[in-house]
Amino acid sequence: MKIAVVVFPGSNCDVDLYEALHSVCHADVEYVSHQQKSLAGFDAVMLPGGFSYGDYLRAGAIARFTNIMPAIIKMANEGKPVFGTCNGFQILTEAGLLPGGLKRNDNQRFVCKTVPLEVVNSQTLFTSHYQDHERIALPIAHADGSYYADEKTLDELEANNQVVFRYATENPNGSLHNIAGITNKQGNVLGMMPHPERAVETILGSTDGLRLFESLLENGRIKVEA
Amino acid sequence: MINVRIFVTYKQSVFDPQGETIKEAIHSLGHGEVKTVKVGKFFDVTLDTNEDEVAMAVKEIADQLLVNFNMETYTYKVMEEA
Repeated sequence: MKIAVVVFPGSNCDVDLYEALHSVCHADVEYVSHQQKSLAGFDAVMLPGGFSYGDYLRAGAIARFTNIMPAIIKMANEGKPVFGTCNGFQILTEAGLLPGGLKRNDNQRFVCKTVPLEVVNSQTLFTSHYQDHERIALPIAHADGSYYADEKTLDELEANNQVVFRYATENPNGSLHNIAGITNKQGNVLGMMPHPERAVETILGSTDGLRLFESLLENGRIKVEA
Repeated sequence: MINVRIFVTYKQSVFDPQGETIKEAIHSLGHGEVKTVKVGKFFDVTLDTNEDEVAMAVKEIADQLLVNFNMETYTYKVMEEA
């Protein structure tokens, strides 16, 4: 499985994501510039955290207009895995690949700490190495992470098991339904505010994020062999 | 040239944390009569077009870029010439 890590102007977690896949998981991974127009040859694409285009207008709003975006949307529509963390999640909602949006944290602050999460759905490409209702801890670092969607959309997310991660003990940003991460209806696009790529080695303080990448890589292998 | 000011705010149903924080600060000033504060942003846009086409242009710009309709809404007004 060959994975693209997209680099936007203002991305700052692209190296973390790349190294989690390359150094830790020994995956086949390449950086892809936002200026590229194609993702031909890639089996999955990942959008890193950061502040693409300085968060101008709204977090993630301008990245939607980059050359690479149609190729990302094409991969999503083909059912290939698309993953966004933090700013990557914001970009996926702005691009319409995930429902709802991310707004300013209720407490108005940039929150940077490790928070407990509940794995709500372990039946996805990205979470099959976790257990349902398992408690894990992942770092968050954002000011605009408060997930918002209208009641109808929230009902649909819950009914379709699209909520994958919830904040477990405290909600750090005021997100509705304590949502920390969701998939699209088909389950091949995952967006989440926490940073699994920052929790892949003991020296980083937690390895709870590692299984997300291992899940994806194993599911990719199974698909290739099938 | 036509000058248009486009106002973008959270929908009424969406909690506006900045507005709430500013309201509390206003109360600290002694203005307890202030009941709500909503924060928004505005965009001053100059268009080289005619009056008939302004509404459509503004709608497209707002729909596709300036407004996230999940949580925001907008109004606009045509400004007097400077």
